[in-house]
Amino acid sequence: MHAKLSLGIGILTLSLAAIPVQAHHGWAGNQDEEFELTGTVQHGVSLAGPHATMKLRAADGKVWDLTLAPPARTQASGLKEGIIPVGATVTIHGHRNRDANRLEVKTERVTWNGRTFDVYPDRK
Amino acid sequence: MAWLQASALGHAMRESGVWTYGVVNLVHILGVSTLFGSVLVLDLRLLGLWHNVALAAISRPTVPAAKTGFVIAASSGICLLATKATEYVGNPFLYIKFPAIGLGLLNVAALHSFSAWKEHRVRELSVPEQARLAMFGGISLVCWLTALSAGRMIGYW
Repeated sequence: MHAKLSLGIGILTLSLAAIPVQAHHGWAGNQDEEFELTGTVQHGVSLAGPHATMKLRAADGKVWDLTLAPPARTQASGLKEGIIPVGATVTIHGHRNRDANRLEVKTERVTWNGRTFDVYPDRK
Repeated sequence: MAWLQASALGHAMRESGVWTYGVVNLVHILGVSTLFGSVLVLDLRLLGLWHNVALAAISRPTVPAAKTGFVIAASSGICLLATKATEYVGNPFLYIKFPAIGLGLLNVAALHSFSAWKEHRVRELSVPEQARLAMFGGISLVCWLTALSAGRMIGYW
């Protein structure tokens, strides 16, 4: 009885783990192609969790949501709140959201004023 | 949600250091695991498992542990929500989670007003009473499992 219950719970757990989730966490929710975008800072870096964020206005006026690394890791790359002023021109490199209707980029690098902030240094 | 985000709590969550969110999230998980672990043991007992162990012997530790876990989970949860509350508008998992919590709490209230529950520490329960308690246990398990699962999925939307 107990062995069967344990087995049942084990199987249920494994089958739940196998369901592919459309992520936000990890990179599965993002396109594989590298993506680059240049624009002006609409909303500066925020180090609030769970991920650091900023907003960028592209040349066509569209505002993009940038998801950076978790706060501590973003700060460790040198990208602290207030370093890049609102209105500054920056270029970012990362991966777009898989949903083409969502203007969101999971961002690996931010380049501003000759400085590069590599928030995910282990990714190209 | 906009009000919650703009509140002092929202500001404190966003502006008090890069580890704040992570640590509050850890506290939330401690609360949730304490709550769910206790609820799981009690509900399985109500559903008929381990019936050679007296119900009172199981309810004695699990009920206060579940209460403590709920208070920890709810208070840390409000902090997590306040960080970027407006971003959760339209998140379907949130709309599953909160009603599930509501139903879970209603089920607790109903259980506590049921005479057999009030008296299970002082007398033996009849078979029909045990069956009613099993129903409460089943509803509880579904509610809290739903709340836990939907809660975990919020970040993946």
